[in-house]
Amino acid sequence: MSRPTDTIAALATPVGTSAIAVVRVSGPDCMELAKAIFGGPPLPPRIARHSDYRDVNGCLLDDVLVTFFHGPRSYTGEDSLEIASHGNPFIAQSILTDLLARGCRAAEAGEFTRRAFLGGKMDLPQAEAVMDLIHARSERALAAANQQLRGSLGRHLGDLTEGLLLVLARVEAYIDFPDEDLPAEDRRIVLDELSRVLHGTSRLLATHHYGELLRDGIKTVIIGEPNAGKSSLLNRLVGRDRALVSAEPGTTRDFIEERIILGPHCLRLIDTAGLNPTPAALERLGMDKTLERAAEADLFLWVLDATRPLPTLPNSVTGRLTPSNTIVLFNKVDLLTPGNAHAPLPSPTLPTLQISALTGDGLTELTDSVVRLADAFRQGQGDEIIAINSRHADALRRARECLETARQKVAENGAVELLASDLRGALDAFGEIAGKIDNERMLDHLFKTFCIGK
Amino acid sequence: MIYNQAPFDVIVCGAGHAGCEAALAAARMGASTLLLTGNIDTIAQMSCNPAIGGQAKGQMVREIDALGGEMAINTDLTAIQFRLLNESKGPAVQSPRAQCDKKAYQFRLKHTLELQPNLQVFQATVTGLVFTGQKVTGVRTNLDIEFSGTTVVVTTGTFLRGLMHIGQNKNEGGRMGDFSAKTLSASFLEAGIELRRLKTGTPPRLLGRSLDFSKMEEQRGDTSPTRFAFYDSRDPEDLFHVEHTGEQRIGWHHATNQVSCWMTHTTAETARLVRENLHKSAMYSGEIEGVGPRYCPSIEDKFVRFADKPRHLLFLEPEGRSTNEYYVNGLSTSLPFDIQVKMVHSVPGLEKAQLLRPAYAVEYDFAPPTQLFPSLESKKVENLFFAGQINGTSGYEEAASQGLLAGVNAVNKVRGEPPLIIGRHEGYIGVLIDDLVTKGTNEPYRMFTSRAEYRLLFNHGSAELRLLHHAKAHGLVSPSRLARMEESKRQIEHWIGFLENHKAPAGQGTFGDAIRRAVTGTNSTHVMPVLPAEFITQPEALRQEVLYRVSHSGYLSREQRQIDKLSEIEKIKIPPHIDFLQVRGLRKESALKLSEIRPYTLGQASRISGVNPADISVLMVLIEASRGGRADA
Repeated sequence: MSRPTDTIAALATPVGTSAIAVVRVSGPDCMELAKAIFGGPPLPPRIARHSDYRDVNGCLLDDVLVTFFHGPRSYTGEDSLEIASHGNPFIAQSILTDLLARGCRAAEAGEFTRRAFLGGKMDLPQAEAVMDLIHARSERALAAANQQLRGSLGRHLGDLTEGLLLVLARVEAYIDFPDEDLPAEDRRIVLDELSRVLHGTSRLLATHHYGELLRDGIKTVIIGEPNAGKSSLLNRLVGRDRALVSAEPGTTRDFIEERIILGPHCLRLIDTAGLNPTPAALERLGMDKTLERAAEADLFLWVLDATRPLPTLPNSVTGRLTPSNTIVLFNKVDLLTPGNAHAPLPSPTLPTLQISALTGDGLTELTDSVVRLADAFRQGQGDEIIAINSRHADALRRARECLETARQKVAENGAVELLASDLRGALDAFGEIAGKIDNERMLDHLFKTFCIGK
Repeated sequence: MIYNQAPFDVIVCGAGHAGCEAALAAARMGASTLLLTGNIDTIAQMSCNPAIGGQAKGQMVREIDALGGEMAINTDLTAIQFRLLNESKGPAVQSPRAQCDKKAYQFRLKHTLELQPNLQVFQATVTGLVFTGQKVTGVRTNLDIEFSGTTVVVTTGTFLRGLMHIGQNKNEGGRMGDFSAKTLSASFLEAGIELRRLKTGTPPRLLGRSLDFSKMEEQRGDTSPTRFAFYDSRDPEDLFHVEHTGEQRIGWHHATNQVSCWMTHTTAETARLVRENLHKSAMYSGEIEGVGPRYCPSIEDKFVRFADKPRHLLFLEPEGRSTNEYYVNGLSTSLPFDIQVKMVHSVPGLEKAQLLRPAYAVEYDFAPPTQLFPSLESKKVENLFFAGQINGTSGYEEAASQGLLAGVNAVNKVRGEPPLIIGRHEGYIGVLIDDLVTKGTNEPYRMFTSRAEYRLLFNHGSAELRLLHHAKAHGLVSPSRLARMEESKRQIEHWIGFLENHKAPAGQGTFGDAIRRAVTGTNSTHVMPVLPAEFITQPEALRQEVLYRVSHSGYLSREQRQIDKLSEIEKIKIPPHIDFLQVRGLRKESALKLSEIRPYTLGQASRISGVNPADISVLMVLIEASRGGRADA
C-alpha cells in the first residue's frame, strides 16, 4: 500500500480548557513545517524543545513545547510533530488554523490511528480494535458535525449551495444542450446569483473572524500617557510579571501582548508605549506603533493617572473611543488623598472605573465591565452565532477563491467550461463541509429551469 | 435440441448497438462468438432519431473508436450530415454529431458482422437462459434450439416485455413492427435478478414530399466535417465499407453532398390540442407505469411543465438518402393517432404532412444496474453480462459503449484475465459504467458532460491518448495502429515539453507562456506566437492536442491533481468475498449499502451515497489486515 502523500494535522487533546493542548501533525512535510515555523537548526528527534510558535504572518501565537519524531519511530510511522501549547482551546485552534494555512489537511476521524496501522506500527490482532476506534471517533465527529449543520451554519450553507447549484445549472445548460431552444444566455442572472453566493460565503468566513475573536481573543489595547500604569495593569490582569515595570516613564517602547480569559471571552491584551505629547525620538517610534495598534483594536482600556491632570491624547486615538468600546480607568486611586479627586473627563459618556493596579482595587468591577463590553461586541457580529472551525474556514476560503475567479470569468465573458470548472471547485468545497453534493441535484435544477429535450 | 457440442465462448443476445459492439469485440479478441437476433434485417437499427453523437455522446463514440469499436467508423461512412456542436466553446466541450442514413448504417454494420472471423450471426429469438447452478451456460430460443455458451451477453434494448402505447391503443413489441421478448424476463426473475419498468418515446415520421420546407429554416452541415474515427493511427486496410449507394469510397468527401435538416416550431394550436386532449395521452391517463427521462420529455410534458413557453422548436431530420422519410425531433408523444395528425398539421410547413408512422411511447423491463459488477457481469449469475438499455440507459452511444465493454469482459472472464474497467478519470465510458453500477438510475440514463468530474481532460481529440493503455492491455486494436497511437502520444508529450521549455522570440517567455496569453489571456493582445516551423508541419490533430494542453495547462493540471489525490483509494481493490455485515466498525447503513453494491475498489466504495470517509478507513484497515497486514513502506 502506498504511503500517504499529504500531511495531516489535528488536535490530539479534547477540546476545552486544560493545562496543555496538543496538536499532532503527521506526514512527509513535518520536517519542512518545523523549519518554517520554528526556524533554527533541524529539531533533534524525540527531544521536546521550548520554542515560540509564529504563524505564517509572523505573529506570535504562543510559546510551545515541540517534539519532532522521525519516521518510522513515531506513532504513525511517518514523520510527526507534537506541539504542546497552553491549554487554552483558542490557542490550539489558532495553531491548527495556521497549520492548515501552511498546506496541511485536517485529519479525518481516526486517521492517525489508521496511518499507524498502515504504517506497520500495530500488530494484526489490533486491527479490529483500530476499526472500532475509528468507528467510535467518526460517530462522535459525525454527531458533532450534524449538530452544527442542523444549526444556522447548515442553513446558511444549504442556502449557498442551492444558489450555487442554480448558477451551475444555468451555465451547464448552455454547455450540454447547445442545440436546444434555450433563451439567450443571460449572464446577468448568473452574475447576480454568483455575487450573492460569494457575499454569503464571505459572511460565513467573517464568522470565522468572530470565531477567531473567540480563539485569538478580542484585541484589547491598553493606552494612556507614560507612566500611567498600563504595564502594571497588564501584569495584574495576567497575574504574572510579563511586562517590565519601573517607575520611570516610557519603559514600554515596544508593545507587549498577552492572552487572558475573562468569563467566556478571550482577550488579547496589548500593552503599548505611552502617548506623550512631547516624545523623545526613540519614544516617538514606540508611539507610532501604539497608534497603529490602536487603529485595529476592538476594545480600549484607557489608563489615567488619577493623581495627575488630564493628559491630551492624539485625535486619531480619541476619535475612536466610544462608550461601547472603551473603559476609562483612573489608576493609582490608592495614592489619592481625600478631597483630591481626579479631573473630569473630556467625554462624559465614556464609562469610568477607579482602580489600583498596585493593590488590585476595582479589578473585579473592571473584569465585569470588560465582559459586558465583550458580550455586546459579540452581539454586534450578528444575531446568530455561527462559529465555524478551521476546517470549515479552510474549505470556505477555497470556495471563495473559486467563486471570485468565476465572477471574474462571467464579467469578462470568459470560457464557459472553465467558468463551470471554477463553480464546481466551489461546490466541492461546500461539499467538504456538508457532505458530497451529487450532480443529480444540479441536473434537477437544470431540467426545472429549462425545457430540455427535442 | 442443443445446437453446438463445444460451447461458444460468448453468446450475445440482441444485435442492436450494444449487441453489435459486444459481438465484434469478442470475436476480434479471438473468442468464438455467436450473435443471436430476432430479426437479421434490423441489425443496428436506429429505433429513434437518425443521429449519432452530440454532447458527451460524440466524445463517447471517439472513445469507442480508441478501444477498437465499430460505431465511429460506421457513422463516418454512412453519415449524411456532420456538425461539430459547441464550436465556439473550448475544445473540451466540443462534440461531433452526425445525421446518418439509417439503412446504410444498418447494412454496413450487418456486412461487417458477416465478414468478421470467429463470429456467427443467427436469426432466432432468445426465450430463456440455461443455468447450471449459479452460472449461465447457454440460451433457449423460439426455434426450440438451445445454444451453449461459456458466457452470455444480454442486450435486449426495449424488447423485454416491450409494450407500446398510442393513446389507449396498446401493442406488444419493443419497436413498432417488431416483437416483444415476453418470456426472457421470467429467466431473470428465476435467477433472482430484480426487474423494473422504464419508458421512452419516439415522434411520428413524415413523408418528405408532403412537407413545405419553404416555411422552415434550413440547418446545414459543417463545410469541414469533424469525423468520429481516428484516421492518423489507421492503415487503409483497417477500413472497409459497403458500396450500397454506389458513391462511397475511402476518402469520400464528407463535406460535399451533405443533406440538410429543417427547423420549425409548434404553435398556439398545437398547445391547445395537447392541453385539451391531455387525458387521452397514455402518459397522463395512468396507462404507463414506467419512468421516462427528464431530458427527453414528450410534447405533453413540455406544454404542462413549461406552460409559459409559447412554442417549442421542432427539427425535421432526414432518415437517409434512399428514403423520403423524415423524423420530427421534438414531437415525441403518446397521444392518440387522430390528435397526432392534428398536432402535426398545426405546425408551419407540416400543414399537409402525411404521417408514415405514428409517435408512440414504449415501456420495457430493465434490470437495475447496481446488480452488476463494474465488468458488467451480474453479481447474481456468474458469466452473465448485461449491456445497453436493459441497464437503464438511453442512447445508441451509451449502449454501444457498454456492449463493447461487456464483450471484452466476457472474453476476459472466459480466459481468466482481469476485466477491463475504465476509470472515471479516463473517459466518459468510465463515468457511465461507474455511475450505473455504483448509483443506479431511476430514469433512462443519458450521458452529459456535466456528469464527468474531469470534463476538461475529456476533449474528444484525446480519446486515443486516454485509452490506449487499455486497448493495449486487452489487445483491442491492431499492432500497427497501437504503434501509431503510442508514437503519437510520445510526439505530443515531446512537443508539450518543447513548447514549455523553449523561449519564444521577442521576450514573451516560453512558447507555452505566449500561447496561454494568446488563448486564455484577458488582455487585448491575443497574438499567437510564431511557433517553430517543425511544429507547424505536424499533423493537424496532433497540433490541436498539444496547443489545447499547453493553453489550458492551469485548469488541466488542477483536474490532474484531484485525480492524483484520489488515486490511492482508486487502486485498492476490495476482496470480492468480504462480508460487510460482519465487519466491525462499519456503520449499519454503510454495511448494507456496501453489501448491495459490493464495490470493486475503495474508490468506488467512497462514491456510494451514505458511505463516509470513516467507513473507508475501516475498510482500508481491514483489507490491509486480510492480506497480511504489513505495509510495504
